Amino acid sequence: MEIVVLTKPVPDSESRLRPNATGTALDTTGLKFVLAGYDESAVEQALLLKEASPGTTVRAIAFGLPARADEALRASLALGVDSATSVEAPPDTPVDPILTARALAHAVARYRPAIVLAGKQASDDEAGLVPSALGEILGMPDFGSVVNLHWLADRNVLTFDRATPDGLESIEVPPPAVLALQQAWNDPRTAKLPMILKSRRAPIDRIPWPDVAAALGEGAIARTRPVGFRLPSARTGAKMISAKSAEEAARELVRILQEEANVFP
Amino acid sequence: MPDFSLSEEDRSLQDLARKFAKTEMAPHAAECDRTGRFPEEIYRKGWELGLMNLNVPTEFGGSGLGLLQQCLIVEELAHACGGMTTSIIANCLALEPLLLGGSREQKGRVLPPFCKEYHLAAFALTEPGTGSDAGALQTRARKEGDGYILDGEKCFISNGPVAELYTVFATLDPALKHKGITAFLVPRSSPGVHAAKGEEKLGHRASSTGSIRFDGVRVPASDRIGAEGEGFSLAMRTLDQTRTPIGALANGIAQAALDHAAAYSLKRKTFGKPIGEHQAIQLKLANMAQDLHAARLLVWHAAWTIDRGASGTLESSIAKCFASDAAMRITDEAIQIFGGYGYMKDYPVEKLLRDAKLTQIYEGANEIQRIVIARELLASYA
Repeated sequence: MEIVVLTKPVPDSESRLRPNATGTALDTTGLKFVLAGYDESAVEQALLLKEASPGTTVRAIAFGLPARADEALRASLALGVDSATSVEAPPDTPVDPILTARALAHAVARYRPAIVLAGKQASDDEAGLVPSALGEILGMPDFGSVVNLHWLADRNVLTFDRATPDGLESIEVPPPAVLALQQAWNDPRTAKLPMILKSRRAPIDRIPWPDVAAALGEGAIARTRPVGFRLPSARTGAKMISAKSAEEAARELVRILQEEANVFP
Repeated sequence: MPDFSLSEEDRSLQDLARKFAKTEMAPHAAECDRTGRFPEEIYRKGWELGLMNLNVPTEFGGSGLGLLQQCLIVEELAHACGGMTTSIIANCLALEPLLLGGSREQKGRVLPPFCKEYHLAAFALTEPGTGSDAGALQTRARKEGDGYILDGEKCFISNGPVAELYTVFATLDPALKHKGITAFLVPRSSPGVHAAKGEEKLGHRASSTGSIRFDGVRVPASDRIGAEGEGFSLAMRTLDQTRTPIGALANGIAQAALDHAAAYSLKRKTFGKPIGEHQAIQLKLANMAQDLHAARLLVWHAAWTIDRGASGTLESSIAKCFASDAAMRITDEAIQIFGGYGYMKDYPVEKLLRDAKLTQIYEGANEIQRIVIARELLASYA
């Protein structure tokens, strides 16, 4: 069985973010890119399936500028995926989720995977569109918020649960399918030092942007473009309690909770 | 021109160590410091990730890292806890004599188990009567049949109370001074080995340090490292390799002190503004940053020199000595910036001062480093 995991490079959550000079997008100068958190869960799920079914191979595929895509791919290789493909994004023009899905579909189709795994959304734009768009393009069923995924070899079906606000939904589907995973339910492993060293020397298959663009034709142009980007405004509303003693401060806190915040009746 | 940039591989190793330090070590640093607990579960996790045995070549199952990469990792670990870092890197110190002077058979026999499973080793050179003057050590090795009998006592041995294998330096004849010193591998399970429980220490309290007594311990000739009389040279060549990471360890502690002090200086207000806006504090922070930057460059340069195949005795002595002295200055100033809070155990900086102190003492006291530096310096004028 061949599994493909979509691995998006996103800015490190510990980076300091700021808008670019024109205020249209995030300034990516000097930003460190890492494997997205939800996708890390997807890699973990792929590795669990591989461990449960010997003979399974896992390929990570990333779409992006090569240096950034490589970070996500090398992180995936260090975690234990078998091979990696970098799908190059256009160097100068913005991309959107649908273009991303088309470019990824072009790559994924080459490998005829039984399962395509992804995080249910990326930790930067949180659009959550790529997995379902990919399923549509490839003609595969797709599901979001997936947990507890298993492959039953004897019946050749995938079983999983979907975490919904009302409860867990259990689903069976024959492969192939696109499954977008809930984050962090599976406690992703940490890459070990020898694997990190190995991943840095592993080959990455590359699909250059001109090849992608040729295959997509008119679909190679993003239909949407970013027009503005700003940071969330600083939070307000914190109230400092000034009091002469701890007891007085506690009384004031209780009063506020009761009378102003209506936390206590 | 020298190139100070780190490779992607270097950075990914730093990331691994930083993540481990932040998520596994830092949350337990204060507790282990307070109680003196040896957090074996953390060391086991570090071993699983490949953060121990950094210097063991890959052919024996180790990480096979160069010294610069080792230093990058050690600094990140020490940012979370100097004591835990000492215990994590003690294997590198203990196994280095074997890497330098052991036979292929010995390496193939001894090293792989350390890389396949979690085991600790300890480097046993110091004695109650001889620290800096290692050539005068008194632990005796008597030849008997096809082997040796060891008698004597070692002290202040990092991981001594918990290690399963000791690299022991003993003399065939004290009259031979350093020419009589010979290195041996001694399993703790050997009859006659008595490891005392850990000492109470000022700092590095998450590490276990103690004495080991050898009462008529039989060691087969196959467990002698190198030739008879080669032990002193092996010990010195080992320290040439391992003192640079001690500089990196000091830098990790110093970076933590600077991080705490700078962040605190932006929050704490006096005379109506954050203390970081007072020049008195800015000057301190600037001095700390300069000290640390210089120390880090010295460590990187020493590691780079050794990675290029040179002995690096001078460079590593300068790096270790300067970085550890700088760490004392920086942690001292961090406490001063915190004021009364800095003196309290509820705040993190007083631990950093206590942890920094050891880096001036172990793996060659800084007085010895200065003797080495002066000797190398004067030799170039003679």
